[in-house]
Amino acid sequence: MDHRGVIGALALVVALIATTGDAGAFDEAKYPNLKGQWRRIPVPGVVGQPGYDQTKIQGWKQEPPLTPEAAAILNASLADQAAGGQGGDPTYTCKSPGMPRIMTAYDPMEVVVTPDTVHIFIEHIHDSRRVYTDGRDWPAFIEPSFAGYSIGRWIDTKATGHYDLLAVETRGFRGPRAFDATGIPLDANNASVIKERIYVDAADPEILYDDITTIDSSLTRPWSVTKKYGREKTRQPVWEEANCAEGNGHVEIGGRGYFLSADGRLMPTKKDQPPPDLRYFKQAQAPAKR
Amino acid sequence: MQHRIPVGAKPTTMSERSLLAAMAVAAMLCAPFGSASAFDDAKYPNLKGQWIGVRIPGGGGGGAGQPSFDPSKPWGTTQGAPLTPEYAGMFEANLAEQREGGQGTNATSTCLSPGMPMVMNAHSPMEIIVLPEITYIRVDHIRDTHRRIYTDGRAWPEQMPTGFDGYSIGQWIDSKGDGHYDLLAVETRGFRGPRSYDASGLPLHRDNESVFKERIYLDQANSNLLHDDITVFDHALTRPWTVMKTYRRNPDPRPTWIEYICADGQQLVRIDNEGYMLSADGLLMPTRKGQEPPDLRYFNKAKK
Repeated sequence: MDHRGVIGALALVVALIATTGDAGAFDEAKYPNLKGQWRRIPVPGVVGQPGYDQTKIQGWKQEPPLTPEAAAILNASLADQAAGGQGGDPTYTCKSPGMPRIMTAYDPMEVVVTPDTVHIFIEHIHDSRRVYTDGRDWPAFIEPSFAGYSIGRWIDTKATGHYDLLAVETRGFRGPRAFDATGIPLDANNASVIKERIYVDAADPEILYDDITTIDSSLTRPWSVTKKYGREKTRQPVWEEANCAEGNGHVEIGGRGYFLSADGRLMPTKKDQPPPDLRYFKQAQAPAKR
Repeated sequence: MQHRIPVGAKPTTMSERSLLAAMAVAAMLCAPFGSASAFDDAKYPNLKGQWIGVRIPGGGGGGAGQPSFDPSKPWGTTQGAPLTPEYAGMFEANLAEQREGGQGTNATSTCLSPGMPMVMNAHSPMEIIVLPEITYIRVDHIRDTHRRIYTDGRAWPEQMPTGFDGYSIGQWIDSKGDGHYDLLAVETRGFRGPRSYDASGLPLHRDNESVFKERIYLDQANSNLLHDDITVFDHALTRPWTVMKTYRRNPDPRPTWIEYICADGQQLVRIDNEGYMLSADGLLMPTRKGQEPPDLRYFNKAKK
């Protein structure tokens, strides 16, 4: 009974200390040092925009294990892009790339480790993430998002008293999302589950890996790749702010993409593309003949 | 689009710059790159959790609606912004356009970042992450803003990247001498724009030479209230303008963070410097009576 009383009192003290109103000790040395600016390491010979598998050119050369339906979506996207359209790449109107594409790290990445949450900041379109490491369970309801809801667990794989691996699972998506700019699709049901293992290279602490496995209904099997990032050597890296809407030359009207010309006027993106429907204007003007 | 600007000297004093330079050297000696150091977070105020901007009854939006820069006053001309005659005229023209259905000089209507100081209006909940070298302020509204306030003792760089959030250097202060920091003093420079104070379009000067000084601290009587005293130095103002923001901590230790993707469901588009609406069926609509449709001279012929 006395023990139960002591335990109960201790539990109360712990609960009081752990409320949002109190600062707790943060033993930073227990975690790997992920500070600084991380950049995706380019792979020689892989040209164009980066793909989900950074060792291969984007599009079909990625060898995505797509279902027949998803393969048809990718083919249609590529055909539309060949004609000047944007295909199945939703980011051209500044929609977030979402997961797993966020981790392609089009722009530099910062990983901020706190005891309860790992924050991943990427200056791109809308790419920041929270990975909760406070031991929480999946909530009964997840507000869907492009980045998803991530729960992580720090693991001390070598039992040295220092964490060396962050295992993450992410669910709760909304879309549309694609693996890369060619429009390799994730399923519109947004039921993807993404598992990651994030760790520093055992031989070189300036290299960071993210082993990503995507489980998605657009795939015939889970698709695993390894992302590799290098740490910038400067002590005070420059973070360039990205604002997608600033100077974005794309606009979507009635589900169709158009360009904005240098003088700000609407332009077609494809040969013989019709102008937008102006039925809601009183004086719909006829297009000028050139 | 990246820009870099040289940094002006005002209003940081020479002694402050010397102090910052000395602190920078000390920080470099104490924090070898690539190694994690111990972080005594008990020295810092506990800013964890989710902070929600306090709307003052009778203030911005009468306690509802969109928040204003000075939360104690409704937005618009009642903010009492000490604008120069030129910018007061610009603001009036903007309000007239908004009354007709336009967006005026509110740049965020097309998903441009709110930037400073509008980001501190906390249109969405705010998170503050305190680490020894940097304090981050996350507000997911339009942009996934994560202001970096450098507290590593650095001096102003000779060239800095410009941004809507600016470049912030902060200093933790133990104002009571009790061994615990209780005040974060911040200065922010290095902007691009256009930026406004709030969605009424109250403008900052287009030269983007604004300087902001902030004092961020917990309420002495209630540690679940946070204050940010913001002073704006801007060429659109006749004098520095100071307001106090207050934020309340959400008691939920695991609050929900809503992702705000401005482009998702965005109904406003800007073509040839004119704002248009997208109707429910996705078609272009005027935003005000008598508005002309966009110029379609780059299309060969109308095909539907």
